[in-house]
Amino acid sequence: MNGIFTVILIISAIALCIISPNGFLTAMIDGAKGALNCAVTLFCIYAVWMGISKIAEDAGLCQKISRRFTPFIKKFFATKSTGAAKDISMNITCNLLGLGGAATPFAVSAIQKLDSENNDFAKKLLFVLNATSVQIFPATVIALRASLNSQSPADIFIPSLIATAVCTVSAVALFLLFNKIGAGIWRK
Amino acid sequence: MAKVIPVLIIFIITFAVFKRINIYKSFTAGVGEARDFILSLIPTLCAVFMMCELMESSGITAFLTKALSPTLSFLGIPKELARLILIKPFSGSGSLTFLTDIINTYGADHYISRCACVLYGSSETVFYISAVYFAKVKVKGIALPVIIVLFCFLLSAIIACMICKVL
Repeated sequence: MNGIFTVILIISAIALCIISPNGFLTAMIDGAKGALNCAVTLFCIYAVWMGISKIAEDAGLCQKISRRFTPFIKKFFATKSTGAAKDISMNITCNLLGLGGAATPFAVSAIQKLDSENNDFAKKLLFVLNATSVQIFPATVIALRASLNSQSPADIFIPSLIATAVCTVSAVALFLLFNKIGAGIWRK
Repeated sequence: MAKVIPVLIIFIITFAVFKRINIYKSFTAGVGEARDFILSLIPTLCAVFMMCELMESSGITAFLTKALSPTLSFLGIPKELARLILIKPFSGSGSLTFLTDIINTYGADHYISRCACVLYGSSETVFYISAVYFAKVKVKGIALPVIIVLFCFLLSAIIACMICKVL
């Protein structure tokens, strides 16, 4: 982000020097105004969803769902540590429910546990799963559409589901494929 | 489809009542977290918005979209989405900004906005996640997974634009 910001700032400053030198400060101030407007809209959305998801979290809904995944995860991630498998299944459950912020701490804790058994494969797989975001219900986006006067905000539910599934499945498949090829070369 | 959200909320609240937790307290605690989150977001938002304004007024955006649009239109992606696709792997709040901007410009039910929404939901901030996850532990060969994820993001962007035309 640092590199991008610096480069854009310098290039646009040079360009604006040539086109309209007065425009520079106006653009920066307009930017800050836009940022505050956006922050207010976002707060309204997050207030609703983080309130609701906190209720779900405190009621233990996540733990309840994640318990069913644990045995399967042990096999898929090739790990022997039950603690890591539990963290991973909590991470995946939070992701599925669209609680991205709640998912990250579990992933970090799982990665530390996987580190102690030197399981690079599982660490990378967990990264691939999280970076492609397996999400069933895109709550934030739907709320954003609703707040900006959409006629049918939940319209994008099915397209979103297909797109995120394609992204996740293809990434995991490619990762497993490359991993197998890599292991084959290693053996020779 | 519109019933999904109320039904989900009814389910969560009923479950919470059944579990005998303090619903009001949990809800307000959640809103408090939302406030902290947004406050922590404001500096980034300011930086990104200023960056956008500068790019617009100096003509960099016009130049970039012009340069990228042949490739994107070949892949079936509208050129209006170029900015969103470029920023998505780097910054979550930045891409959220662009998403809001696109919806404001074209209207929430426009084809471009719908594509943008689907695209936004299809992946996460790849570089941010890799930085957070691997901050404390060392892993060899993290470049390959990153490339795979970026490639699949592009793939899902193409598919998102195709689906939005049909559905």
